[in-house]
Amino acid sequence: MTAIRRLPVLIGLTALVIAAAFLFLPLSTDVQSAAPGCEEPGPLAAGCGAGQAEMAALVAAARAKAPPPPPERDTCLHCHLAGAETGLWTPLLRWTLFGAAGLVFTFGVYRSASVWRTRSPWTPLTRRTAGWIDQRYHLSEPMAKILGKPVPRYALHWWYCLGGITAFLFVVQAVTGTMLAFYYTPTPEAAYASIQYIETEVRFGTAVRAVHHWGSNGMIVLCLAHMLRVFIMGAYKPPRELNWATGILLLVLTLAFGFTGYLLPWDQRAFWATTVGTEIAGSVPVIGDLALVFLRGGWDVSGLTLSRFYGLHVLALPATTMALMGLHFLMVRRLGVARPL
Amino acid sequence: MAYTQSSSATDPQSEDSIPFYPDHIRTEARVVAALIVAALVVGALGLAFPVGLGAPADPMETPAHVKPEWYFLALYQLLKFVPKTVGVLIPLLGLGLLTLWPFVDRRPDPSPRASRIRFVVVAILVVLLIALTIWGELS
Repeated sequence: MTAIRRLPVLIGLTALVIAAAFLFLPLSTDVQSAAPGCEEPGPLAAGCGAGQAEMAALVAAARAKAPPPPPERDTCLHCHLAGAETGLWTPLLRWTLFGAAGLVFTFGVYRSASVWRTRSPWTPLTRRTAGWIDQRYHLSEPMAKILGKPVPRYALHWWYCLGGITAFLFVVQAVTGTMLAFYYTPTPEAAYASIQYIETEVRFGTAVRAVHHWGSNGMIVLCLAHMLRVFIMGAYKPPRELNWATGILLLVLTLAFGFTGYLLPWDQRAFWATTVGTEIAGSVPVIGDLALVFLRGGWDVSGLTLSRFYGLHVLALPATTMALMGLHFLMVRRLGVARPL
Repeated sequence: MAYTQSSSATDPQSEDSIPFYPDHIRTEARVVAALIVAALVVGALGLAFPVGLGAPADPMETPAHVKPEWYFLALYQLLKFVPKTVGVLIPLLGLGLLTLWPFVDRRPDPSPRASRIRFVVVAILVVLLIALTIWGELS
């Protein structure tokens, strides 16, 4: 019994050893070439049985004489992504086609083998996965409760969609914003050039930036529309006071997203709009100067302002927004959709 | 108990309600699909009409017309007529009042008359906001 149990371990260890051998193969061929004459008998054959130190010296000498060629690789894989290389579609198509075919074939083999071995009809993969997870975490009961919760029929009316659309736009902003952050550099020297790079060089960079730009505008419009709908219908009244309060906070956060994101291109409009905007924040009584210095990272708009706006825009604001959105949704879920008039 | 929904809407057997899954989810999935298509259309249009970029930032040279994004234009226009401190306090106090409004207007009044009053108030405020925004854009 123990021998059978150890079998997979043994097989795995053997596979590891073989893999390691393959890994070291290039190195060993290098050593062989460094010690010539091992195969043929002659005066050089003495070098074959030499000690390790001599061997190492020989290797070093050979390395110094002829450096090993660089490993062969696609010299411009990133050009495919950046859009400089036009030959993307053929490899992409090849990978998709053969990859999909391979997956289907592997699945077919597994399915046939499984049916033959268990002598029982095949269970769909989705049900298998669900069963596997449910066995461990007992999720089916709470999930049934969550999914089976009745929703009033009037909740299908279009104006109840406004908040959900805003939430969806937040997801769109997160995705496109991450894509932009891959190429964006938040320094005064490089920010402008990196946006130019996104606009001109990156594949579909213009499209992604356009979606992010118009998505931000749409998010503000929809936030306001959702708020007006809630207000007109009186859905803010008890017991929904905190839904309303978190909603206001979310609106403020959305505006903060717009304000911090506006500086990031670091062009004239961005720079001076931020100068004026932070100046307005600086005219708040009592805490004005503090707010100004906190926002600008000093008395003037500078590289520090840019990096802290970037930090706010990509870290602090998204984290806060997601937490508040979670609360907002939980409260909506708990209290249900307010009755229409 | 008074704060839970009326029983007809939460009762699974009721005619007034549908299950969250699949009925409600299906509708939401349709909306999401439409929105994804809309985002793709915006992206395609963005290829033809890029968002663009102005001149690089230059702290030494103030441009003639500095304007904020459109959603701050109303505040920007307001600041031209009132002292700065007042202009900043108006939106801040407005937001505070708005946040506390549910604690002020507590009476449950589902009558159409109440909502009509709220609608008129909102309409006046929105028209004012839009007017200020357009004014700020044109000035």
